[in-house]
Amino acid sequence: MRKRVLLTSAVLAGGAFLTAAVAQEQLPTHLKELLELGMHPGHAYVDEGREMFHTPGPNGKSCATCHGQDGAGVNGRLNLQGAYAKMPRYYKDIDRVADIDTRILACMTKYMGYDKKDKKFMKQFKKWSGPYRVPLASYVASLSNGMKIDVKLDDPQEKELYKMGEKLWYMRVGARDFSCGICHTVLAGKRIRLQGLPDPVKNKVYAHWPAYRFGSDRMWTMEDRVRSCFKAYLLYTKQWSKKDWVKKPPPFSDWVIALELYMKHAANGAIIEVPGLLR
Amino acid sequence: MKKIVLAGAFVGLGLLVACQPAAQKAEAPKAEKKAEKKKLSSKEKFKIALANQDKWQKACSNPTQLVPEGIDIETFKKEMLATVKFPEGGVVGKNIARGEKLFGDPKKGGKSRRGNCYACHCGDPKIIACGNIGPSLRGYGKRGIDPKETYIRIYNSWAQNPCSVMPRLGYHGVLKPEEIADIVAYMHDPNSPLNK
Repeated sequence: MRKRVLLTSAVLAGGAFLTAAVAQEQLPTHLKELLELGMHPGHAYVDEGREMFHTPGPNGKSCATCHGQDGAGVNGRLNLQGAYAKMPRYYKDIDRVADIDTRILACMTKYMGYDKKDKKFMKQFKKWSGPYRVPLASYVASLSNGMKIDVKLDDPQEKELYKMGEKLWYMRVGARDFSCGICHTVLAGKRIRLQGLPDPVKNKVYAHWPAYRFGSDRMWTMEDRVRSCFKAYLLYTKQWSKKDWVKKPPPFSDWVIALELYMKHAANGAIIEVPGLLR
Repeated sequence: MKKIVLAGAFVGLGLLVACQPAAQKAEAPKAEKKAEKKKLSSKEKFKIALANQDKWQKACSNPTQLVPEGIDIETFKKEMLATVKFPEGGVVGKNIARGEKLFGDPKKGGKSRRGNCYACHCGDPKIIACGNIGPSLRGYGKRGIDPKETYIRIYNSWAQNPCSVMPRLGYHGVLKPEEIADIVAYMHDPNSPLNK
């Protein structure tokens, strides 16, 4: 037993060393310099999110009005520290299971006076580089740093969505016959070109999301990650062609949240450390 | 479940409309045009895309991602082989240069999104950014493999290896038969960088 543990730890250490070496090598120079200065590029998003958190919306209320200064709660209620650890979960006020992106959108439109029908706002919200979704998600997630992921499946809607997520995970579909599971469970550890395939279910990688990915030089929430994965499926409505390409599931849809729930439940117990820094 | 049924009903409706006799079609061309013009929402589109899963994909959709018990592998292979269409000019094409472009890349970085072979396979030794999901294809042409087998594997890999991660490129129409034939020609050509 002991020998085995030793061996595993040796292998793990070797692996970690290798990964670190590879990561160092792949890190562009300007990012290396930033890290040496103690500046994680993702922290800019967190700072931006903190500012937005305390900025009033159209009706004069800010996130902090209900959640308190720095998300510490008001009169012991609506404390956001640790909230991300339990997400995605069922919320009574919106009667659905929400991930962090969806929850933020619901808060902004329900309580802060932003309008869901306002196309300009929605465009800004969905946008990667917009001022709302990604910075706020990064900031709110960072409030749970150091805590263990603890996704429960108590509500029937959560259970149903979890099952849907598991089914979607293994569903072979599209012009490439892909599923999440074939690459990220069966073939995990192999490479697509030079990009390694992680196993988010076994290795609890969810602890590092939202993450700053220096390949694209920006912050990604898990919603962005899941939706972008579907581009590789080459899904189509009638027959495969570039014109008929269904690139991504719609944002904030149950498909995306179901997969997030499936992966994050598998990551239960892992300690949250966001923003992550990934390739 | 409800969603799948709904999507199924939607596809069914589409089929019904498509199968109506021509006379009926002529009667209401305006209404039909309107229906066609009405854009599907992204939610509807995604639902349909998932419902397009074929029965073989469905069979492979399990935690092992392999042919499950109760399904005969030989029948599976035979059914897949029956879908393979061969080009008129034979399985070895003439345009080797096009084959190389589809296999790898015009500028030799290997990043063609059509064949996308380097995502999973190594080949040309000069292209280092290659995946290790599939076996290396270096020296492929020297292995004495029948070009017809190569053609079938690219057109519909499940005819030889059911539920494999290799996309059925010809079956789904990602590549045309003639294009696959050119890739086969590139792979078997003694002067190809794969075989040097």
